[in-house]
Amino acid sequence: MDSLEQAAAGRPGEGLVPAPWRIAARREEIADGSVFTWSVRPEAGEVPIYRPGQFNMLYAFGVGEVPISISGDGAASGTLMHTLRAVGRVTRAMQNLKEGDAIGVRGPFGTAWPLETARGRDLILVAGGIGLAPLRPVMCHAMRNPEAFRRVFLLIGCRDPQSELFRDDVIAWSRRPHLQVEVTVDRGGPAWRGHVGVVTKRVQRADFDPSDAVAFLCGPEPMMRFAVLALQQRGVSDDRIFVSMERNMQCGIGTCGHCQWGRYLMCRDGPVLRYDEIADIFDVREL
Amino acid sequence: MDLADQLAHHAFCADMAPPVRERLVACAREERFEPGAFLLRQNAPAATFYLILDGQVEIKIAGTAVGHAPLETLGKDDAVGWSWFLPPHRWHFDAVARATTHVLAFDADCLRQAMQADSAVGYAITRGLLEVVVQRLQAARMQLSDLYGQP
Ligand SMILES: Cc1cc2nc3c(=O)[nH]c(=O)nc-3n(C[C@H](O)[C@H](O)[C@H](O)COP(=O)(O)OP(=O)(O)OC[C@H]3O[C@@H](n4cnc5c(N)ncnc54)[C@H](O)[C@@H]3O)c2cc1C
Ligand code: FES
Repeated sequence: MDSLEQAAAGRPGEGLVPAPWRIAARREEIADGSVFTWSVRPEAGEVPIYRPGQFNMLYAFGVGEVPISISGDGAASGTLMHTLRAVGRVTRAMQNLKEGDAIGVRGPFGTAWPLETARGRDLILVAGGIGLAPLRPVMCHAMRNPEAFRRVFLLIGCRDPQSELFRDDVIAWSRRPHLQVEVTVDRGGPAWRGHVGVVTKRVQRADFDPSDAVAFLCGPEPMMRFAVLALQQRGVSDDRIFVSMERNMQCGIGTCGHCQWGRYLMCRDGPVLRYDEIADIFDVREL
Repeated sequence: MDLADQLAHHAFCADMAPPVRERLVACAREERFEPGAFLLRQNAPAATFYLILDGQVEIKIAGTAVGHAPLETLGKDDAVGWSWFLPPHRWHFDAVARATTHVLAFDADCLRQAMQADSAVGYAITRGLLEVVVQRLQAARMQLSDLYGQP
């Protein structure tokens, strides 16, 4: 058997064969419905164990398959959460699916946020737009384990007040003394009471200890580039900065080569990578 | 904390030599703005430079399609206003306190005289202002590029 056949031969959900799951619940994150969260449940068996930062390949039958981060779990209800932004063919088709509809799921795949590296330290999470989705499980972990990190700084950037994600969670997180949450929008309206500006400004101003801090970043690449510069300026070392990089994917299991980025296969070696290991290719175009 | 201590602890003055800071203290006073109070008014003479000690200030532009729109919010360790530095010495935007805000307010005439009299003071303030302007320009470019918009 070649590697593709071996991959295909795995149990449904593990290799190339999607396992049947169902949408147990659907919630709109943004009023226009362009960002929505699914709670999904397997038709058979248990919800697989995942680590924060990992993704699943979600399949809209007859349309196509896309990598989507796991944005949380309903441990008691046997579900996983995925938050999707409708941008193109597959995710727009997914936008039209309803509760009870079937989807295919493969995963979890990829590398995770290194929670152990951050243990006992200041943890800085910089999230831009839908980039908050893979960081949400880290916040859930910090809520459940207040002793895990010294302090957590969640710095969120989004377009405008209407596109703020996980609003109820953000309010609940903000109430915890060890969690400091700052939301900044590019364009604020008259009723907006939070920050207006760029999220990197929050990195410059947050009250963390740069000599003992770890940072996790996820968002549009220009935002991450500026956030890395701001962290470096504050004195956070490159080996304490972790970024989640998104590349188009097909197999998700390191066999097709579709997601190659320099020397990395992003479905296997990523999406979470340590900055000092990718600094040489981070801002290289057309890799 | 007295004025000299507050100045020494502000990010704008962090790298300034003590003699430079002394010249700045001579131009400074403390002020407090209640929510809704204007620090700067669009087109009014630009006669003061502010360093925020605590609180929150909105930079706004009047007369846009979306009303009196906030362009940026500023807080502790930020500087407000650079139009005092270059002719025609008039504010381009409004700056309004959103929360009770404490500032160090510098008389612009006094600052300009100190900068002209002593090139070390002139260099230190110009460098500080340039850093602020560069950061604001980069931020404005990022905000304009609609990073989080539809791909
Ligand atoms: C590891 C990983 C995790 C991801 N997690 C999530 C998630 O939690 N939620 C979510 O909504 N999306 C996530 N994405 C992005 C998602 O996979 C893409 O948006 C999706 O594949 C687009 O497919 P489509 O057929 O709907 O759009 P297409 O028709 O393929 O593309 C439509 C437009 O979107 C652009 N586009 C496609 N993919 C991306 C991307 N990754 N980033 C920016 N622009 C893109 C294309 O250039 C094109 O302009 C993740 C991607 C990766 C690699
Ligand atoms: S998606 Fe096939 S190798 Fe990564």
